[in-house]
Amino acid sequence: MVEANNTTVTLQVHRFTPRPERAERARGGSPFARKSSPFGGGSDNAARRRPRGKQWVQEYTIPARPEDTVLDCLLTIKRTVDPTLAFRYSCGHGMCGSDAVAINGTPTLLCTASIRDWAKQPGAIAQVDDEGFRHIGTDEDADTGEEASSADANSLGVIELAPLPGFPPQRDLIADIDPMLNQIRKLTPYLQADGVLATTAEGKVNAFEYLQHPEQLAKYETLSNCIACGVCEGSCPVFAGGDAFIGPAALIWSSRFINDSRDTKAMERMDAIDTADGVAACQSVRACSRHCPRGIDVGEEMWQIVAKVRER
Amino acid sequence: MSPKRLEDMYDAVIIGAGAAGLSAALGLLRSPEITDLQEQGVEPKILVVSKLQPLRSHTGSAEGGIAASLGNIESDDWHWHYYDTIKGGDWLVDQDAAKLLAEYAPETVINLERQGVAFSRTEDGHIAQRRFGGHTRDFGGEPVKRAAYAADRIGHQILHTLWQQCVAQGVEFAEEWYVTDLVLSEEGTKAAGIVAFDTHSGKIQAIHARNVLIATGGAGRLFHTTSNSWDLTGDGMALALTAGLQLEDIEFVQFHPTGLAHTGILLSEAARAEGGILRNADGEAFMERYAPEHKDLAARDVVSRSIMAEIDAGRGVADPKDPNGPKDCVWLDMTGIDPERMKQVLPQVVETIEQYANLDPTKDLVPIKPTAHYTMGGLPITTDGEVYRWDGEHRSVVDGLFAAGECSCVSVHGANRLGGNSLLDACLFGTRAGRALADHIAHNPVDSPMSDDSLDDDLIAAVDQAAHARTDELNTLLQGSDDAASSAAEDDVNAYALMSQLGSVMERALAVRCSAETIATAREQLEETITPAAESLVAHDKTAAFNQEVTAIWETRHLIELAEAVLTASDARQESRGSMRRLDFPERDDEHFLAHSMVDRSNAVTFKPVVITDYPPKKREY
Repeated sequence: MVEANNTTVTLQVHRFTPRPERAERARGGSPFARKSSPFGGGSDNAARRRPRGKQWVQEYTIPARPEDTVLDCLLTIKRTVDPTLAFRYSCGHGMCGSDAVAINGTPTLLCTASIRDWAKQPGAIAQVDDEGFRHIGTDEDADTGEEASSADANSLGVIELAPLPGFPPQRDLIADIDPMLNQIRKLTPYLQADGVLATTAEGKVNAFEYLQHPEQLAKYETLSNCIACGVCEGSCPVFAGGDAFIGPAALIWSSRFINDSRDTKAMERMDAIDTADGVAACQSVRACSRHCPRGIDVGEEMWQIVAKVRER
Repeated sequence: MSPKRLEDMYDAVIIGAGAAGLSAALGLLRSPEITDLQEQGVEPKILVVSKLQPLRSHTGSAEGGIAASLGNIESDDWHWHYYDTIKGGDWLVDQDAAKLLAEYAPETVINLERQGVAFSRTEDGHIAQRRFGGHTRDFGGEPVKRAAYAADRIGHQILHTLWQQCVAQGVEFAEEWYVTDLVLSEEGTKAAGIVAFDTHSGKIQAIHARNVLIATGGAGRLFHTTSNSWDLTGDGMALALTAGLQLEDIEFVQFHPTGLAHTGILLSEAARAEGGILRNADGEAFMERYAPEHKDLAARDVVSRSIMAEIDAGRGVADPKDPNGPKDCVWLDMTGIDPERMKQVLPQVVETIEQYANLDPTKDLVPIKPTAHYTMGGLPITTDGEVYRWDGEHRSVVDGLFAAGECSCVSVHGANRLGGNSLLDACLFGTRAGRALADHIAHNPVDSPMSDDSLDDDLIAAVDQAAHARTDELNTLLQGSDDAASSAAEDDVNAYALMSQLGSVMERALAVRCSAETIATAREQLEETITPAAESLVAHDKTAAFNQEVTAIWETRHLIELAEAVLTASDARQESRGSMRRLDFPERDDEHFLAHSMVDRSNAVTFKPVVITDYPPKKREY
């Protein structure tokens, strides 16, 4: 993968090494600790949001091609430069949802982000402007300093990597996404249908599936494709603030069951999210839609569920 | 999520949180035995330990479907499914197990639906089904629509649904804990527990358990080119070998013919079903020569072998991403498919090619290469999931040790797995293993006041001893960072580089085809270079928390342990059967090798007869 080309990319990685925990403090916890939001982790959670340890930015310049993914580059770094760099990854093709980080400040997956799409020439102004749009195409008039351009004739540019915003960093690009999973768990994220689970008599199948017509499936199928990567949550300015919002992911999961014709608890589910930190906290910023790896228009779905809750 | 504190003793620890592990947890908790216990106020103490957060498990990547003779589209019969499974496995299938697989497949799929899986539907609201290679009607006749599907995301749907049900059941997880040791009693006859590296705290944990279930998935990372996730490093199989147990039929590895060049990412068989054609460096549609009737849609192992034969004959092409690299790919030509139709019926295939090859399949030839996909072999288990030893004549079950899913071998897949049968195996035999576990637990639950804990002390001592040894090793690995940082960067090999090297060695030796010579070469490389390098690995940073390199060192050692067993078993099987192609023994040899290989870490191979009850072996032709 290295010999055939001579272009390079520079990754600027926001690194963090945690200070070793003292005793068992972060575990157990006091049984008298204040319990706050039913969705958030409360005070314990707030404490964990403050990272304690060593923080620095490290630059790696490695051979890369425009079509390589950022994940490819990080794996090359692990193999050839620095095996200590920590980041989550697993399937490598956008299905497992483990590798959400901030690339140039924007939450997205490492394995679906290509160098071509994300590298920016050094000296160029912030790639994401304050409305959240990226400049694309080459800036002809951005006269980069001579000393840089001669040395970096083969450089595809620079990419900045940081852990997913809105979640406590644990080490390097690894963030603690348990708050999101806990919020999802709080909203009974499982089918509650009317029937008892199918069982069989000896050797003979006597069970049948719940019938569901294609148009009924269409009402929630897209929602059921959520991989809980946290990209929408990291993009949401309300969520990033703390425990004030259960977050788009938990609401998408709730909506998935509310819209499933087999589920019998739609009213209870809507009651559960009709709270100040539930649907009322969504400010319709719609930043959540922009990089959903499963193509869910999260902002629109949020709008739909808000309307549904209000109309009930 | 991790437990706030560990129990002194668990009723059961389940390793792995994919389809098999989660099915086992649910099968256990929903069993009548456990319900009875709960009614008496006795709570089972269960812990699911997983290397990944459960929703990241590789089950989520399965695309095509789960096989069951529901007959929702056209008439079907589980006996046909039963027969197809045996034939697909080239008659190396234990027929008692395959019978259960086919007979209870409809129940399994319907239960998945009733738990919430968003299956695609027929117009009248039933679960939709599609064709899949090797599934036929009337015992080998016309193709039949047997694979229940959810668009091209059936694995994601099943994984998420099972996790959701575990949330409903209040299952406790220890997430991102890497299991380093499987501990048995001194005589090796009973499970004692496990040792795990809690990656969050960076501490070694001793987990005592009266029962252990291993559901760690496959070992695709033995090979450089694989459709498997980065985490499939054969951990459960290596743990078993290290604990002195055997692996069954571990030489059988399925290579899917169309991985996207060097990425290994799967391009669905549907690409060829829709008219995609394989071409060699000369542009020749070579499958016509190898399989005049079925051509590009012949069975997976047949197509993979044909591709490798072209590459070996010098008619391969280089991956355009690596033009000076080896000519180890062929072209998939999809330009004959109408672009509109391609978008409509092959969206995932098109997206993958655009995203990861930067090519336009309506205009460009796409480089493909067989990619390591599935391990048919694994820990030998009974149809109730109990792990056993084979002494040449008898099975002896290891008390309290269970396994399920890809890491196990109940032998429903034999020498070659049929599409749609892997999710079915994991869910069905996972559930069965969970029920068997429940029965085991009910005899002596930890929480019961009448619990007999007379045996516990010895088991606890065994686990604690293993944990101490592992803690010492962890400290050595971490302290090594001082030397590693100062040593010359030139000769400094790290775990990630070594794993990659191992993948190349194994791929050259065993991918799709092998011979005594290629096996010997790989063994030599393992012995002379890779194993010594693995033994000298150290971490390059001494902070233990989230130290992924420490995990990678242990993964590398697990892979090497397993690689040796795979090479030994491949060497011993001097015939060609299913996925196994010996260039030096090109024919199937039922007289000597209609038998399961059983290999252990001392490299001893014994053979175990195949259970044949209904369908005597025949020639396998499609």
